[in-house]
Amino acid sequence: MDVLLRQLRQAADGALEYQDTEVTADSLSVGAAADCTIQLLGEGVAAHHATLRGRRAQLSIACHRGCKALINGVASASATLKIGDLIEIGGHSLRLVEPPAGFDIAIEIEPNAQVATSQYERAFRTDLSATWLSKRGAAWFLAVLVLAAGLLIPYGSIPLQRAGRSLPAFVPSDQVWTAGPLIPAHQLAAGRSCGSCHQQVFVHVRDAACRECHKSTADHVATAQLAQTRLGPPQRCAQCHQEHHAASSGLIVRDDQLCIDCHAKSDSRFGALKVTPVTGFSRTEHPAFTVTLIKPASALSASGQMDWVARREPVASAREQSNLNFSHAQHLDPARVTRQSDSRALGCADCHTLAVDGEHFIPVTMQRSCASCHELTFDPAAPDRQLPHGKPRDAILLIQDYYARQAVDPHPTTSVVQRRRLPDQTVEEETACSGPALGCAMRRAQAEIDNQFKTKGCASCHNVTDTHSNEVLDRFLVAPVRLTRDYFPDVHFSHRAHAVQNDKSGDGACLACHAVQKSTSSADLFIPNLGKCLECHSERLTKERVALQCSDCHSYHPKTIIARTGEADVQ
Amino acid sequence: MIHENILRYRGGRYAWWALGLIALSALIYATQGGRQQPGGGTWQGYALGTLGALLIVWLTLLGMRKRRYRSNLGSVQGWTSAHVWLGLALVVVATLHCAARFGWNVHTLAYVLMCAVILSGIFGLYVYLATPRQLAANSDGRSRAALFAELFDLDRKGRELAKVCDPGVNVAVKSSIERTAIGGGVWRQLLAVDDSLFMRADSVADAGAAALVSNADQQGVIDQVAQRVPQAAKRAEAGNLQALIVVLCRRQAVLRRIRRDIQLQGWLRLWLYIHVPLTFALLAALIVHIMSTFMYW
Repeated sequence: MDVLLRQLRQAADGALEYQDTEVTADSLSVGAAADCTIQLLGEGVAAHHATLRGRRAQLSIACHRGCKALINGVASASATLKIGDLIEIGGHSLRLVEPPAGFDIAIEIEPNAQVATSQYERAFRTDLSATWLSKRGAAWFLAVLVLAAGLLIPYGSIPLQRAGRSLPAFVPSDQVWTAGPLIPAHQLAAGRSCGSCHQQVFVHVRDAACRECHKSTADHVATAQLAQTRLGPPQRCAQCHQEHHAASSGLIVRDDQLCIDCHAKSDSRFGALKVTPVTGFSRTEHPAFTVTLIKPASALSASGQMDWVARREPVASAREQSNLNFSHAQHLDPARVTRQSDSRALGCADCHTLAVDGEHFIPVTMQRSCASCHELTFDPAAPDRQLPHGKPRDAILLIQDYYARQAVDPHPTTSVVQRRRLPDQTVEEETACSGPALGCAMRRAQAEIDNQFKTKGCASCHNVTDTHSNEVLDRFLVAPVRLTRDYFPDVHFSHRAHAVQNDKSGDGACLACHAVQKSTSSADLFIPNLGKCLECHSERLTKERVALQCSDCHSYHPKTIIARTGEADVQ
Repeated sequence: MIHENILRYRGGRYAWWALGLIALSALIYATQGGRQQPGGGTWQGYALGTLGALLIVWLTLLGMRKRRYRSNLGSVQGWTSAHVWLGLALVVVATLHCAARFGWNVHTLAYVLMCAVILSGIFGLYVYLATPRQLAANSDGRSRAALFAELFDLDRKGRELAKVCDPGVNVAVKSSIERTAIGGGVWRQLLAVDDSLFMRADSVADAGAAALVSNADQQGVIDQVAQRVPQAAKRAEAGNLQALIVVLCRRQAVLRRIRRDIQLQGWLRLWLYIHVPLTFALLAALIVHIMSTFMYW
């Protein structure tokens, strides 16, 4: 189509000037760009704003995306035009006028006089804000993405997980909230399910969650006793055992301050509980040791039984009450006692065997520790006949049976003779018995029973009470023996680690702490006191001392709960 | 100018503030240890975390402050100086808060976003310090609007001169003006890509064989017109062609300045397209971090 573009300009004298341009084209483009047929500048004019198409009768305008034009004063994106219509774009006016002969269309263009040519920049995208880059859009997108993937979706996944539904791997679960790795054991047990421990949102991990697995862990102080103090409610497990920290460092808090925080003020905060203040590991800061000794709690009953109780006593004044008569001095004197195997002096390990835990010793018993030397024979003529240990009534019956059998034996290997011990003489005089054979045998048996329970045999090691009863089975009561196995039930001490110390090893190492050489009484206690530990240890590592922390000896969670009144159940 | 003394605002006052903040944070951090391992869970960790979170919110408020021209809360210049220095100190505060413990979780996401925001800020600071001098040198004191006004004027002159030249030259010059590319998409602006085209007519008679070819830096059309000068039949035609060449060369110079100006302004503003969205992502991550900490604590 042939188009006449008539640009109207106001000349300096106010008269209108025309500048005609003839164009032959299928369509007319309108915009700020240089390649537009009708180039208009200014605000509100896009680089390519609109296109005019059609012929004279069906001319139409179609604005490009996002653009509009005022058609006869009405904003519109597209319209069909007729002669006389006014199109306004960015203050510029385009009026369709009756085309002169030879033209299909004629448009009068009246430019907006306010627009400077500097507005030409609008024809181009010269700023990043005109590109796809968007601060606001990107900010919204990222913020919503982070909130959704980091908070909302994981939160929404919690009930699904608790209902046992497994989530696809790409769905962010509450695992994204983890503050760090778990220790391997917890990772194995509960690593895939945060809810195992975090049972309620906005609520600290509760002890009940810990106890679902850790059922046997004892409290530091029994609840009833805690109530007597001014310590307040017990701390939550997680206050000390902080998970999600560096997995390598574990969960056990070994800092001395944890203990000292409470124990330094124990005289004021522990109320009725008697707890000696501790502020460190030295003579002035740490109390002297107290041992837990097993002691008789009652007199010997008629049946030979006793009640026992564990008592905490200061090491300095404590005495054993095991009912055993034993002299370490005698047993360690090579002039008096030697080993059967090599005739050398006895050593500690001949009787005391370290248990597998390296801390305790296998209990000393007659059978295990004494019987190899101390046979329970009663008749030199019958060295293979031994009395049963620990069963006094059986022993009495055995002696009676032995002599009765001899009395009635038609072919005795030895004659039943009355042995009589003469005063101040070790040689026993044997006299022949006259009278009924059983009577002789019973008298002979009674003499041996007296000998065993009063003079030698049982009486060598045990406390035997003579009830003077006429019934022979009830006459002698042997006090039961209870040796304390664990003097410090709540304390760790590795005998194995101390088997070699400084320049000592073997028995030398044992005797360095347990000075038993001169002890003739089994009431003597050989447990070293604080001073012995301080010879080699101190709170901090020095050239002369090995550092010890509270937790090297003490456990926060005790093996047994020692009643702070000083007694505990006998183990 | 503002960009020259952001860092040295009032004798580097906020640099000392930042150093003080770092020292305070280090002091708080150093009191950790013993019973609890350093980290966000100790009281020191909470203190440093609160400090860091407040700092992030305050740093974000710069965007609000600089839009409030009537505010009496200190000058934008002072705020910007404090924004830069305290923003840099935030790296130390946040690292001490988390005790440099990282993992694949929302907490480290917040830290990484924070670092990305600060790094983009450092880049922004660099371009704010380096670019204005280059911009001034390029525009030679003229505004971009003035450059475009000159370009528009040269376009018109070029077209008018071309009209009276032979059709080949007319087509070439008219097309070179119409197909002059300025700016455009992100990379075209930032790399000053010039994919201008023009329609080259190999001869007057053979105008129909014209083809759109590259007119990068307007050199193509200048060369084309220059080639026509010796072939001019008349003195007047040669004169027109020479006048046209002068216009085209002036146009070339103006376009170079415009493109360089667009490029420098692009780089000057690009970092904000990273800094601002990441800041909002960081604020979201901060909310997630704080919420998740207290949901599972």
